[in-house]
Amino acid sequence: MAQIELESVTKEFPDGTTAVSSLDLAVGDGELLVLVGPSGCGKTTALRMVAGLEDVSSGTISIDGRPVNDVEPRHRDIAMVFQSYALYPHLSVYDNMAFSLKYRRVAKAEIRQRVAEAARILELEPYLQRKPRQLSGGQRQRVAMGRAIVRQPRAFLMDEPLSNLDAKLRVQMRAEIAQLQRSLGTTTIYVTHDQTEAMTLGTRVAVISGGVLQQVAAPQELYRRPANLFVAGFIGSPPMNLIDATLERGSAAGDDAGPVVVFGPHRLAIPAEVIAAHPAFERYLGQAIVLGIRPEHLHDAALAPAGISGSAIRLPVRLREELGSEVQVHGAIGTAAHVSDDAADDVRSLATIVARMDPRTKIAEGETAKIAVDTAELQFFDPASGDSILA
Amino acid sequence: MAAIRQSGRSSRLNKKMAIWALFTLMVIIAVVMLYPFWYIIDNAFRSAGQFDRQAGHSLSGWKELFANLPVTGQLLNSTLVCAASIAIILIVSTTAGFAFAKLRYRGSGMVFLLVVSALMVPLQSIIFPEIVNLGNVHLTSSYAGAVLVYAALGTPFATFLMATYYRGISDELIEAAVIDGLGYERTFAQIAIPLSLPAIATVTVLQFIQIWDDLLVALFFLPTNQRTITAGLATLATGRTTSIPPLMAGSLISAIPAIVVYLIFQRHLVKGLTLGMGK
Repeated sequence: MAQIELESVTKEFPDGTTAVSSLDLAVGDGELLVLVGPSGCGKTTALRMVAGLEDVSSGTISIDGRPVNDVEPRHRDIAMVFQSYALYPHLSVYDNMAFSLKYRRVAKAEIRQRVAEAARILELEPYLQRKPRQLSGGQRQRVAMGRAIVRQPRAFLMDEPLSNLDAKLRVQMRAEIAQLQRSLGTTTIYVTHDQTEAMTLGTRVAVISGGVLQQVAAPQELYRRPANLFVAGFIGSPPMNLIDATLERGSAAGDDAGPVVVFGPHRLAIPAEVIAAHPAFERYLGQAIVLGIRPEHLHDAALAPAGISGSAIRLPVRLREELGSEVQVHGAIGTAAHVSDDAADDVRSLATIVARMDPRTKIAEGETAKIAVDTAELQFFDPASGDSILA
Repeated sequence: MAAIRQSGRSSRLNKKMAIWALFTLMVIIAVVMLYPFWYIIDNAFRSAGQFDRQAGHSLSGWKELFANLPVTGQLLNSTLVCAASIAIILIVSTTAGFAFAKLRYRGSGMVFLLVVSALMVPLQSIIFPEIVNLGNVHLTSSYAGAVLVYAALGTPFATFLMATYYRGISDELIEAAVIDGLGYERTFAQIAIPLSLPAIATVTVLQFIQIWDDLLVALFFLPTNQRTITAGLATLATGRTTSIPPLMAGSLISAIPAIVVYLIFQRHLVKGLTLGMGK
């Protein structure tokens, strides 16, 4: 097992493109760290630098405290699982798995034992004599995993290993990888663009955008306390509703006694405990902010849990989507939604917000619904820097 | 409904006619292509008189051929020159093709262009400079000289073909082997070579046919006692009168190895020739 550290690691390509910019990251012994971000954000380049497949332009990559910038990939004692699996098509499953061991001059009996053990764990025993082309996608993925396991390396590097599988198989393989990594306890860096994969697999998740690390935290922390607008918009499905708003002092009495957040015709009182926990709030009073509301923190007022029914807004319902376990309601907010640089924010540019509601809700398209807001869970961001005010 | 049925029937009829027209065209092309082979076989088994009358068959043409030409020795010469040239072409083209396709280094695109541009140079335009150059290092009138010229002429196309083939092999496969501990040299030997057997077969067949059939280089660079079968046959036709039956018999012997090699590798040849034409 190993600790992997990246210190101010930068990768510039000869054409001047900076794929990774001053990346600082530490992966603990036995940890599964997920690098997640949109396509082209630099996550795969970062992984390839750790593998030694890309040179580092500046900064240091260390494995167990030893800088490996100039160490050849084969001497780093890491195993990599590729997106395309990269199985050797002319070799059988057994030979694919035994391949690296043969070249490391491991004794034949031990090779047989290690391959048999990996094949047993991955349920590949009936397929050992087959060629990769005779296997299904899921079986090929398992062989790729097996090839990594038999090496007993210090670390696994996985580059979107599930992205070629269909949705159902992906869920199944995701669980298998998680179990396998936990049972082996091997340090793992896992790259994906799928935030669900990142959240379900990672001990910690590092969000990268434009080659820059945005936040690294445990999945729940990342979800509940996004460090900036990018993370807030990227993590979560449907994404967090982001709305241009202002923070104002409330009137002297009633719910508005403390600060309120105002957007369009709507006013939401901010709970006193939120303000008390974040003294930085004071600086933003009277100023524009970006308000973030997770879809699950918007409830049908008639079905809202006790304690949050007091903070409600009225929204004309544009669309109702039945998803079985929940109903997603799209409501017009009557003001401009926050438009970020993220092109995926089409829904928000329509000035609507999305609510994930109890499937028993009777809210229908065309009506103006009373929506209860869980104000204790609101997020606030500085519109200039994009950083969270709550951080 | 009747109109639709009618239109369906006429479309089927048109399709049938098109297939028959195509088949007829193919038969005509096949006859044109195969007639020379038939002509060779038919006339190889005649005497000079039988050839003039175009009647009767005998083995006298064969007797005349073996009496006037060291056929076995020349077949061996052809085999030797072909094998040595193809070995050099394969060694250079597989290593260079792999480097062009999979290794990143400054100026690789320019070097590749330079190598491929050699395809445009016709043999006839460089034959005399080659004679002078090889003469300077005392390699004219020897197997080595001819082999070097054949290798130099065949390598650009072979390198182009191999590089195209290696580009079709996933980079991740090569990287997986590097991470598995092989390094680029052994990755080439253990992964790239086994995967490129169809391309290697294609290069082998194409170069074999080209070198086996070549006359010009063999006549210029090989001494009389080291002549290939093609060059040997040409000497049969240099007298004031040419006896056709032994020439046909020699042509038949000469064609057989090329046909055999083609038949052995034809499946790979088609695969190799359609490289880059889709997945």
